[in-house]
Amino acid sequence: MGQGVLDVDDNSFESEILKADKPALVDFWAPWCGPCKAIAPVMKELEEAYGDSIVFARCNVDNSPNAPTQYSIRAIPTLILFQDGKVVDQIVGAVPKSQLEGLVKKAL
Amino acid sequence: MPKDLYDVAIIGCGPGGLQAAIHSASKKAKVIVFGKPRNSSLYKAHIANFCCSEKLISGKEMLEAGRKQAESFDAVFLEEDIIETKNENKLFSLFTESGETFTSRTLILSMGVARKKLRVKGENRLVGRGVSYCVDCDANFYRGLDVAVVGNESAATTGAITLLSYARTVYLICRKLMITDTLYKQLRNSQVKVIQDTWVKEIIGTNDVEEVLLKNGETLKVNGIFVELGAKGALELAANLGAMFDAETISFIETNRKQETNIPGLYAAGDITGQPWQIAKAVGEGCVAGIEATEYAKKLAKS
Repeated sequence: MGQGVLDVDDNSFESEILKADKPALVDFWAPWCGPCKAIAPVMKELEEAYGDSIVFARCNVDNSPNAPTQYSIRAIPTLILFQDGKVVDQIVGAVPKSQLEGLVKKAL
Repeated sequence: MPKDLYDVAIIGCGPGGLQAAIHSASKKAKVIVFGKPRNSSLYKAHIANFCCSEKLISGKEMLEAGRKQAESFDAVFLEEDIIETKNENKLFSLFTESGETFTSRTLILSMGVARKKLRVKGENRLVGRGVSYCVDCDANFYRGLDVAVVGNESAATTGAITLLSYARTVYLICRKLMITDTLYKQLRNSQVKVIQDTWVKEIIGTNDVEEVLLKNGETLKVNGIFVELGAKGALELAANLGAMFDAETISFIETNRKQETNIPGLYAAGDITGQPWQIAKAVGEGCVAGIEATEYAKKLAKS
């Protein structure tokens, strides 16, 4: 609720995402990527609706090479849902809000 | 100020773009229209439900007539795709497939919607595992690897050339290339391995893309395949400018009743703003966008 989408990088990934006390949805993105820009407002909307129960974060793959390698990311945006430090599910591409909301609801 | 500064630039020469061009140019705006008529969904259509066109006419004829009308008001047409857009200092810069740059005070997006998927076996299962729809987004993940690009037009060709800076080997799979001579020469002088007169039959791989099977029976061992059909669309050209998309589908550009997007000077008209897919809607939105963009450009010129 109104916390905003959290920026994470290779240094903060473990503490903010893997060891979070809530499930976390991470948007792997980059500033040059058009579809990433298109989906950013959807992440914001979902954060406003579900931010109390889930951490909404984004990781710029340009500045953080380790996390994308760790999770075999080869297309952006890729959105990965983590729970207890493990990958629960993921979505690739600028998908409709309903689809992303479906992913979020898996963690509720 | 750039030497050739346009008031209104329009991407797309379907009914929305043409009507916008007619309205802008008739109000003495300096207008340029980019795009290829055969990429309009109207090109192969027959028109039966458009007001006041009782005698059936073909889409192709209609597009030609619209262009002549716009040209009669001095609108300029360039049959090239736009491959990149920028918005700096209240001006839009547009980069064509032949490597030319044009500058305009306003931009009307009217390039319609096109399908992005190849619809072959293995494609959906391997999205993000070697199947990509955006060279600009994902080229960096294929450093030193072997990749294929599939498509017949400017997006695939420029994409393949871009990938040469990252990948070890780049194949371009196409039926027949439909690009400008300048771009064709650039491709011929590059290291891209062009495989013509065929298409992708299947994408193969257990966890990641391993091979691409072609219709001619050939198999390419690649780590990735970029599907780049047609010209660059809304997600590539508009999202980069910061345009808002509809949240429900992330496919259509959001506009108000003036056809304005959330970016000052940027307008959208026609199929790109959503359904229904009708000439009448495209023409109506094009009219509004053309008038509004002209007003905006004139105010900007005076400021």
